[in-house]
Amino acid sequence: MHFPGRKKIKSDSEQTKKQKGIRKKSDTSPRTRRGRRISAGYLFPSALGVMLFFVLPFFIVIYYSMVDNPISHQFVFLDNFVMVFQNAAFRQAAANTLTFSAAAVPLAVVLSLLLAMLLESKIPFKSQFRTFFLSPMMVPIASVVLIWQVLFHYNGMMNEIRVLFGADKVDWLNSSYAQAVIVMLFLWKNLGYNMILFMSALSSIPKDILEVAVLESATPFQIFWHIKLRYMSSTILFVTIMSLINSFKVFREIYLLKGDYPYDTMYMLQHFMNNTFGRLDYQKMSAAAILMAIVMVIIIGILFLTESYFGKDVEG
Amino acid sequence: MSLFKRNTSVIDEVALDKWDETVRKKKKIRNARRLMRLSVATMAAGCFAVLFLLPIVLTVTNSFMSASEISANYGQVFATSSTGGKVYISEKVNLKFIPDMVSFSQYITVLLKSPEYLFKFWNSVVLVVPIVVFQLLVAAGASFGFTRYRGRMKEIIFFLYIILMLMPYQVTLVPNYLVAQWFHILDTNWAIWLPGIFSPFAVYLLTKYMRRIPVSMMEAAQIDGAGEWQIFRRICLPLCKGALCSIAILIFIDYWNMVEQPLILLSDAEKHPLSVFLSKINAGEIGLAFAVATIYMVPPILVFLYGEDYLVEGITYQGGIKG
Amino acid sequence: MKKSQNFLRIALMTGMIMLALFGCGRKEGTEGGGKSGYVYVPEYVQIDIECDHIYDAVAAGDNLFLSGVSWNDDTGENKNYLYKYNMIDKQIQEISIDLDTDSSISSMTVAPDGKLMILINRYTYEQDEEGNVTNAESAIELWDVSPEDGSVGEKKDITKLAGDSEYAYIQYFCVDGQGNIYVSDGDNGIHVVKQDLSPVCDIKLDNWIQGMIPSKEGDIYISSYGENGLELRPVDLNGKKLGEAVEGMAGGYGNTQYYTGVSQSLVTNSSDQVSLFDLSSGTSEPLFKWLDADIDGNEVSEMGELSDGRIWAIVRNNSESASTGGNTYEVVFLTRTEASKVEAKKEILLGTMWLDSNLKKGIIDFNKTNGQYRITVKEYGGGDDYMEGLNQFNADLTTANCPDMISLSNIDFEQYASKGILEDLYPYMEKSGFKKEDYLENILKAYESDGRLCGILPQFYISTTMAKASLVGDKTGWTLSEMLDFVEENEPENIFSDGTRSSIFYYCIYNNIDEFIDWQNGKCFFDGEDFIRTLEFAANFPEEYDYSREGEGISSKIRSNKLLLMQSTISSVQEYQMMNGMFGEKIAFVGYPNSERKGNLIQATGGCIGLSAKSKNKDGAWEFMQRLLSDEYQDSLVSEHGSWGFPVKKSALEKQFEIDMTPDFYEDEEGNKIESPKTTWGWDDFEMEIMAATQEEIDAVKEIIASADKLSGNVGVNEQLTSIITEESEPFFKGQKSAADVAGIIQNRIQIYVNENR
Repeated sequence: MHFPGRKKIKSDSEQTKKQKGIRKKSDTSPRTRRGRRISAGYLFPSALGVMLFFVLPFFIVIYYSMVDNPISHQFVFLDNFVMVFQNAAFRQAAANTLTFSAAAVPLAVVLSLLLAMLLESKIPFKSQFRTFFLSPMMVPIASVVLIWQVLFHYNGMMNEIRVLFGADKVDWLNSSYAQAVIVMLFLWKNLGYNMILFMSALSSIPKDILEVAVLESATPFQIFWHIKLRYMSSTILFVTIMSLINSFKVFREIYLLKGDYPYDTMYMLQHFMNNTFGRLDYQKMSAAAILMAIVMVIIIGILFLTESYFGKDVEG
Repeated sequence: MSLFKRNTSVIDEVALDKWDETVRKKKKIRNARRLMRLSVATMAAGCFAVLFLLPIVLTVTNSFMSASEISANYGQVFATSSTGGKVYISEKVNLKFIPDMVSFSQYITVLLKSPEYLFKFWNSVVLVVPIVVFQLLVAAGASFGFTRYRGRMKEIIFFLYIILMLMPYQVTLVPNYLVAQWFHILDTNWAIWLPGIFSPFAVYLLTKYMRRIPVSMMEAAQIDGAGEWQIFRRICLPLCKGALCSIAILIFIDYWNMVEQPLILLSDAEKHPLSVFLSKINAGEIGLAFAVATIYMVPPILVFLYGEDYLVEGITYQGGIKG
Repeated sequence: MKKSQNFLRIALMTGMIMLALFGCGRKEGTEGGGKSGYVYVPEYVQIDIECDHIYDAVAAGDNLFLSGVSWNDDTGENKNYLYKYNMIDKQIQEISIDLDTDSSISSMTVAPDGKLMILINRYTYEQDEEGNVTNAESAIELWDVSPEDGSVGEKKDITKLAGDSEYAYIQYFCVDGQGNIYVSDGDNGIHVVKQDLSPVCDIKLDNWIQGMIPSKEGDIYISSYGENGLELRPVDLNGKKLGEAVEGMAGGYGNTQYYTGVSQSLVTNSSDQVSLFDLSSGTSEPLFKWLDADIDGNEVSEMGELSDGRIWAIVRNNSESASTGGNTYEVVFLTRTEASKVEAKKEILLGTMWLDSNLKKGIIDFNKTNGQYRITVKEYGGGDDYMEGLNQFNADLTTANCPDMISLSNIDFEQYASKGILEDLYPYMEKSGFKKEDYLENILKAYESDGRLCGILPQFYISTTMAKASLVGDKTGWTLSEMLDFVEENEPENIFSDGTRSSIFYYCIYNNIDEFIDWQNGKCFFDGEDFIRTLEFAANFPEEYDYSREGEGISSKIRSNKLLLMQSTISSVQEYQMMNGMFGEKIAFVGYPNSERKGNLIQATGGCIGLSAKSKNKDGAWEFMQRLLSDEYQDSLVSEHGSWGFPVKKSALEKQFEIDMTPDFYEDEEGNKIESPKTTWGWDDFEMEIMAATQEEIDAVKEIIASADKLSGNVGVNEQLTSIITEESEPFFKGQKSAADVAGIIQNRIQIYVNENR
């Protein structure tokens, strides 16, 4: 197939590579050296701040994870990790966080993509709809929680509707439904932004490719699967990353709904860390944080590999 | 031959006519189908839109209810011992959009009677605005640094930024507290400002965007004798205007809703932003919750309406992790 | 060109924001420095005066005028005194104004021209043969007194301003900048008159007023309780009403007093903090905390500001004179001094949620006398949110902010002990020569963790529950199911007198939490039968106690078996004697339910302090803590009529018992010695005279004390647990869910708590 847009980008990058090569040779040229130094200077303030407020703290976390408690500072090496691994609450929290992200992130990606395509189908009031879908971003978390409570409380709206149809009341927030409710809340909050990301990606697919595909009588499904999806692979991964970040932020809503110790299906790793912090169990908290960080690095690594794989696929 | 030829042409003409007709019919059907599909799509979008708008509309309309109406409507959910018994509470929860009687009593209480709400609102502004402005400034510089003269070292640092960005706040909770203590900025706004200003989030987004600017443009400028500052000022910043705006909106909304940081880093409740205060509104003040929330929504909505186009435009060039 | 202008504008703007931000930061910095850079150093002056009670004090220039009264035993009459105290040469001088015995000085103020104005109240009455008061008459005069020699000038009768009746009375009296005189009875209205008593205006009041204060500017302000606590409103002479409340004043419902300022409009004293208030800008400038100046703010009776910036105060000193009766007074001058110029002492920080008043006195005493160390206090529970304060406390304990001494009164000490935060105090006791055996070992044990003593508690009482022995049997404890069986056999409304659902939870669960949570195996049992039965039991009680409900008195209810259980404390032998009298028969102190059937619980009173393992001044901290165990301190807890707790030292406790057993006598007309009651105790409808205790009564109290070895539940119960139980049990109480459903949810949520805490 013919991808003019892509080719242009590719040629750009080839050009870059060439220039890089040239630069490599003239690495010693005073002008380049100066430029390098200056560009490092631009980076410096941020790097210093990140060093002080993010990296340094992380080393403190590592230190804390290896001492017996924050008062006596006795070195115990990996004992805390073993302890945390054996802790039933931690395992539950890790499992919940994993299942939540595993359910919520793909759903967020798929549904927002569908929404984006819905809006792309030239329906009227497109920009109005777009604004509507983005509106949940603006609602303060506290009022979101307030309304969610009105809806899903045992005496709330949802149960009243159920009773109207003769069904039994369900205690949404204190049963195995709890996580589903949270997934809904998450989707409601995040679909809009993801949708916008997809819309812009959809609109940047070169029109001529789509026309050629129509002329070659490709079915809409084929167009979607072979062209649109491939073209958006990088956006999909970007949306995945953003959704993953936001899926960790859902703790705030759960916390405001049910406090420190919610029903066990809503109990997240952040609860574990928050509570251990409140109880001075810094070593447990730090060990949990590091385990989480390791898992995050692995996930990001996988995402990187996937993207480079897909990237090649499109270019080839 | 000529006849044959003619015939064929006749046949052709007939066939063509027929074909034309079927195409027209098909087009009609297709048009009808398209119309139906479109209306179904519009309906679906409409339904979604209603679901998405519901909370905002509820918050705003309920802010015009009197406290007693609210407690009557939602008493079943929020009633506790403090209100129980004496106040009228309807048997069922009433999710009402239109107040029985439009009342400004909530607003009067919030805006005139108790200045603490406005005070906390101002706290929010004081905490959030510097973070947005300076995070963008720092991030603009850093992304330029990441974009120009890319090397292995910078790629490693950038990867580190991504990992740090993905860490949930709870991970850096204690260390943040300790660092704030070392710098003696605990209980001051600096404890919130500094980590906010240096947050890697904006750097990540902006770098991704800036790296899409064709290198040739910068090289050309360089050959024309432009220094790094001019490249940054004349090429990168103007091209990133949309992205800067959209990132500003994201940061603003994120920090406008912060709850954990002030709770832990500012022990003085007087300094807390309204978001913390809102999150603590309990059954006793539920009547005020909606009005406070509505007032609190105003800045994000303004920012949003002003920058929505930028948000859409700014996002357009993003995508991909490595950039 | 245009673009670069734009850029310039942006750059300027960011620069300005930067400036504003950093400017702001710097300002905060210096303010903080101001607070810690200066201290107020007290200078005590013993004033040598005859009177027992200082009634009023006003400052006029360098002179302080004190009015007081003394009871003369010989004549059986009050004598009035007026003193002039010169604050520069520190001379006290009595001003003899000629007052007859019916008259008294009721109020003083200083007019703008410097002359002293005194209100004299003359109350005359006759008594008929039966002792009834007749022909009572009250007259009020306003005297001008020269501040130099005390000569009395004009005397004006202002009785008619004060109601002109037999009850003529003036509560508040002051003079404004124009010389107008303001008088008020505090309730009905304020009368304003000129110096010649010609009326200016009358102002109606709709509320009791708490104070009437002239500001430095010469305007009169009224303090009274409004919607948001204490407010200050100006008297508006033109509008003949009170003006709008002054903004920026920290209201609240505390005991805040206002005084006329010298450098700024007003001086405010909130009983722990002294501040200056500027009325024109509505800003308050905090000066110092009484505690930092080694003064108990509650004992300050009058205060003010001097022109040289010093603060004067009159401080009651009733601790030393408790034996002699009456108060002694000290005048204190507080001078603002740079911290660096004050002799530096090693600072010992005490961290606490709330500062106990006994502890406060002890700290002030220690700071006044100790040359090497100085205790400062950080109260974490002062804010709006208890949990927030507790979190802050927790956070500080692990960092460099860690207090040297930690008050364990309201916190779960075992949590801190298990983290190694608390030092073992037994070695310290040994080093100081205190023997473990000299103290009640079961009480010390209550604050042990793994055999290490975590806290020093000087004084305690016992929390218990009482029932008639004839009903529950003679026992000192029961299990929860035994207790619930007992409840089921009887009408539930007869169980507790003012029971609420939460008090039932406290009784059955929170004081017995170990039986619902097995920390060893990480299990909890909130879905078990005991908990469900407790829920059903609690459902019989109201959510909140209705205080308006009136009914039979408590003792008659107990005697007629309409009330079976009564929760109470036993803090003295007298209290035990009263309970015995109230029940009218043998009491079983069954206490709180638990499986070991040991129901009586220990509650510390007068503070309980632990020593931080991180402290750099452990010796200094111990120096303070050991005082609490010393003979001197323990003996001071012994009091004649029974105090609010038992001393922890055995010898002091024996002394207390001895006093409780020593009868009081009086001599009748024939000279016979007759035993008199030691004191009177009462509860609700019941009142009795307490005589000297018998040996049996003492033994019974000893037994109760000896039977207690657990701490009262409010020490160990986590707010997390109580909030989960309260939140989730509500649908059951409302009849929306079954007890078992509710118990299941509670079990689920608390199980996470338990798992996490292991």
